[in-house]
Order: sequence, then C-alpha cells, then structure tokens
Amino acid sequence: MKYILFFITFVLLTACTEKQSDGIDANAVQGAPVVIASNYPLYFFTQKIAGDVIDVRFPEIDGDPAMWAPGGQQSADLQKADLLILNGAGYESWLAFTTLPGGQLLDTTTNVQAMLLPIENEAIHQHGPAGKHSHEGTAFTTWLDPQLAIEQARSIMQGLSQLEPKQAGLFNTNFEELKLQLGQLDQSLAQAFSRLGDQPIIFSHPVYQYLQHRYRINGRSMHWEPEVEPGTKEWIGFGNLLREHPATLMLWEASPIDSVKNKLEQLGVVSMEFNPAGNLPDQGNYFSVMNQNVIRLNLLLSEASEQTK
Amino acid sequence: MKGALLLGWRYLAHHRLKTVVLLASVTLMMFLPSATRLLVADSAKALTARAEQTPLLIGAKGSELELVLNALYFHSGRPPEIPHQLLDEIDETGLASPIPLNTRFQTRGAPIVGTNLDYFSFRKLQLSDGRMMGLLGECVVGVNVARSLQVGVGDSLVSSPETVFDLAGVYPLKMNIVGVLESSASADDDAVFVDIRTTWVIQGLGHGHQDLQEATAGSAVLNRSKESITANASLVQYNEITTENVREFHFHGDTTGFPLSAVIAVPANEKDSTLLRGRFQEGTIGGQLVIPGQVLGELLNTVFTVQNYVILGMAMLSLATVAVITLVFLLSQQLRRGEFYTLKRMGASRGFVATLVASELGFVLLGSLLLATLMTWVARTYATEILLTFMTL
Repeated sequence: MKYILFFITFVLLTACTEKQSDGIDANAVQGAPVVIASNYPLYFFTQKIAGDVIDVRFPEIDGDPAMWAPGGQQSADLQKADLLILNGAGYESWLAFTTLPGGQLLDTTTNVQAMLLPIENEAIHQHGPAGKHSHEGTAFTTWLDPQLAIEQARSIMQGLSQLEPKQAGLFNTNFEELKLQLGQLDQSLAQAFSRLGDQPIIFSHPVYQYLQHRYRINGRSMHWEPEVEPGTKEWIGFGNLLREHPATLMLWEASPIDSVKNKLEQLGVVSMEFNPAGNLPDQGNYFSVMNQNVIRLNLLLSEASEQTK
Repeated sequence: MKGALLLGWRYLAHHRLKTVVLLASVTLMMFLPSATRLLVADSAKALTARAEQTPLLIGAKGSELELVLNALYFHSGRPPEIPHQLLDEIDETGLASPIPLNTRFQTRGAPIVGTNLDYFSFRKLQLSDGRMMGLLGECVVGVNVARSLQVGVGDSLVSSPETVFDLAGVYPLKMNIVGVLESSASADDDAVFVDIRTTWVIQGLGHGHQDLQEATAGSAVLNRSKESITANASLVQYNEITTENVREFHFHGDTTGFPLSAVIAVPANEKDSTLLRGRFQEGTIGGQLVIPGQVLGELLNTVFTVQNYVILGMAMLSLATVAVITLVFLLSQQLRRGEFYTLKRMGASRGFVATLVASELGFVLLGSLLLATLMTWVARTYATEILLTFMTL
C-alpha cells in the first residue's frame, strides 16, 4: 500500500516538473588537459615528461607542501583537474577530509609499496602555523632516493599516457631522458655520500629516510626547524645524542639561524643545508637544487679532509 | 453570431445556473479520465527514465522495491545497510564503476545524500550557484531545497537527530552550503548532497574534538597512560567542520566496515553488466543486485492495473452523467414547448428550432471541452505549485 501512496505522491510532484527539465550538457574540456601535482618534485617530473602537451600546475603553497591542506575552494579547483598526481606514502594527509574524484587520482608510489620505509614511535610535534603532526606511519620524502623518483616518474608517464594516448611516445621519450638525469643524480649523490663512510651524521628533521637508506648513511634524526631556536630540553637531548652518536655534520632542510649554527659549531657539529626540494625553489629547478646539495656536501667534505691532513 | 445560434447563446446566458451545472458535469466527465491517464503516463515516464538511467543497484538483501525507491528517490525510512567494503569489492572486479550512497539522514525534512563526485557526473547534475563540496561538512543543495528552505551559498543546514529522545545520540552537524544545483526535474532537486564521509561524521563514526594531549584538555581526560588517553563525557566535540578544525576530525575503526545504504554500479558495457550480475548470483559478492528498471516495471504494472480499474469506474460514471444530461435536455424540451410554439408562429421553421437546440448542446460541449483541456494543461504544468500551496495553507 505504501508503494501505491508513494506513486500517487510521485505522480503529483513529478508530472508537472517535466516542463522544467533543462538540457544539461557536460562541460567540454577546452585546450590541453590540466594536471596538478601535490609537490614540487612531482610537478617538475610531470613538466619534464609532458612537455608542452599538458597544462601542468602546482598549487601556490607557502611552506612545506607536506604540511599543506587545501581549503574548500582549493579542493574545488583540484576537482577540475584531469589528473591529480599524488606522492602517496601518506604525504597527502589532506585526502582524508577533501572531496576529490577517485578516478582522477594518481598515486605515484602505489607500485613501489615494498620499497617504502615505515616509521615507528615518532612523537607528535608542532612547528609554525602548520599545526601538530607526527611522522609516524610511512616515510614520504620518497624522491630523495633517485631510484624511487624514477619509479614515480614512470608512474607519471603511464598516467599521462592514459590521459593522452596519442602522446604516449613523446612521454616515453621524455621519461627516458629524465630517467637518465635522475640516474646521474643518483651517481653524484652516491659518490658524495660514499666519502662519508660510516661517519655518523645528524638530520635536523625526519625527512631524509630515503636518502639515508639509499646511501647507507649512519644518521639519526632530530625534530628541529631551521628558523626555530631549540629550548634547553632540546639541547640536553642533543648532547645526549652526541654522546652515543658522535656526529660532526648536521643536515638541515634550510640553513639554520646563526645562533643555532654557532652553538652547534661550539659542540663540534658543522651545519649544512640539504634542501629536499619539496616546494618550488626561488631559483633554478629540481636538478639544480639537488646538484647544489651535492656541491655543498663535496665542498664540506673536502674542507674537512684538508683540515684532517 | 445571429439567428438560431444567437438565440441558443442567449438562452444559455440567461439560464446561468443550469448552464454552469451542465458545463461542470461535462467538463469533469472529460477531464478526469484523460488527466488520470496523462498524469500516470507522465509519472511512469519520469520514474522509468531515472530507473533506466541507473543500470545496476546494489544493497542489503531484502525488499528490492524499497532499495530502488530509497536509492533513486531517497524515499522510505531508514534503509538496511551494507558495508563500504562491498563497494571496494565491486571496484576490484573492474566490471563497473561503483558510486556510494548513504541516505539515512535528513535535514529539515530534506534527505541528506552522502555520495562522491562521480554521482554528479553520472546524473549530469550542474551547479547554478557556488561550487561542489570540497571538504568534510560542506554540502550542495538541490534547487527545491534552496527554494523551500530559503537557503543558498553561505548559509548552513543542521542535520536532524534521528530520535528526539536520544539524548546520548550523535551530535547534529552544521553543514555549510557551498553550492546550489540546477533543476534536473528529479529527486535530486529535493536532496542535500554531502561527501559520504560527512554522513559517517553525522552518524558518530567520525568526530572532531579538542586535542587530548593539550593541557587545556585536562578536565576531559578520564585516564592517561603511555599507550592511550581515555576521555570522559565532558570532552568538547565540534558540531561544525571548518578549515580550522577539519584536521582534528578522524574516524574510529575500520572504514571498510562503515555503512552505505546502496551502491550504484555503472558497467562499461552489457557484457560487464552480465558478468557482475553473475558474481552476485554465485554469491561471490554479498548483498543483492537489482536492475532498477525491472523492479519499477513491476510496480508500474500494478499501478497501470489499478489505473485501468479507476478509468473503468470513471467511464461508468460518465455514462450515468450522459444519461442525466440527456434526461435534462429532454425534460427541458418539454418545458420549452410554449417557447418553440411561439417561434413557429413567428415564422421559424422546424430546422431553425432544431438548430437552436443543437447549438445550445454544442455550446455546452465546446465549452466543456475547452475547460477540460485547460484544466488538464494546468494540472500537468502547475500541479506541484498547486499542491504545495494547499499543503502550506
């Protein structure tokens, strides 16, 4: 009986709305397909592979893209992309609360799950206005291992080829060129870090796991920010760490403030910037930033070597 | 107009009450069967169109019709639930694109439909104002909801509690309206759309609250250990999701077990559709799969049978009306014998008198036909507005 009542209601409500029906057409995509990347390395790789065929974009992010979260309007902008290139490995924590079209998401680390590094027992902490966070879960700065970066680039090439099948040949050629360059970067980094040997070093922040793993670096991580002066508790902790891990080199995401740099030097630790290139650089590109990292490391190690002599 | 026609017209105009009764009787006799048939046909067409646009529907085992009415028209009470895992299983088959639906909740009488963005492209829904929901807690409203509740972009809606007396139940969630849909002349015009995860927040499966690790949360902490922190009932939970607190929202438990009311499965072709139906028949995948067009076809067959009985009844009433009208005319002729005699004495022929009587009948039939046509047009065009006017009186 309730179905008949439903039908009667439906009759009265729908019979006359038919006139209001509008012809609805899907929005036609004009011009090149739009692809948005969630961090700078992916943006750079996509640009290299896509050439001029694809409109590659990267959101304007102030700070570390790993700590970024889109607002409502930014999410709506992301929805309009033909393809969203994600780092994966838990990098885009904002996926948990944004509404995005599932079919347009490309997780570049899906095919390399076995190569991802787990992180355990990480403390929750906060720096700047980005909010509290923990690095527990999976290490996400994957591109610092150029071999992983190659796999991510391969995933991008495949995603773009599905988006624009006619350009698959061009994408493949560009990918091979990028692969070659990443391979050269891998060699440069391997040569530089091989000079460290088993010498202990300290990382300012737990973002260098893949670098450490790839080049077998004897490193330990702090939770320090370049622009923040550590408190007494942190310095005591650092002293304790130095006793069990006598490092003379500390890698930072950016050059630390002078007071910290000087205090570290007093403790016999030299600070060096190793920019992970997560965000758009002020100058240059991904390879120039990485090559500067290599040059700085080589220079520092050469100086240290000369001093030892 | 002159001669017999003018006299017939003047006669009807003079005997207004009789004319009005005749017009009303004949008009209703013409209007009711045709309007019933047309309205049922229009509604059946609209129902079938939406059902046929939905290739496959998956839900909990039970009433097929209830599943279809709930998933397509967001009608009927609390639907039986299926786990979200079922959607993943359908997706993994690669035979269809699954679109989730959760229609359990309401806001100010309008159904809240939890889904994903694929639903909008699948139903070809377009925005008339604002944008699509981008974050948890944002909603997009159908055009009728915007009109009847007098809300638009920038306003908010609060989810209705399921039971008034459920004091320990979930907190109502304030949802921000970020878009209004264009009219689609379908049930989507009467719904409020949110991300599927927003419905889980409404259900209490996910929530946001003050950080228990902060010192200010001291009074809300029941027990604190190295492994976990247990909060007491005084813990402040957010009843609105904003860009400031959205990161504090989280889900408890395994989301693969979270509820859906139905899944729309869109296979790429007939072969995939058949293969997917086979998987459900084999029982490889749980739940039940129905073809909405077939299920509604069965309902419509019943409705058409009822309609035929109604029209048969109306036809019998019409025959009775025709008999009464004939009787009225015959009796009227008897009463007008003196009038006809006078006309003959004035030189009018028998044909003139016959034309006079026929014109009176013709005017009544023509007037009734025009009125019945007008009423049918009004009923088809403005029935919703008329109905809403009566309902709000």
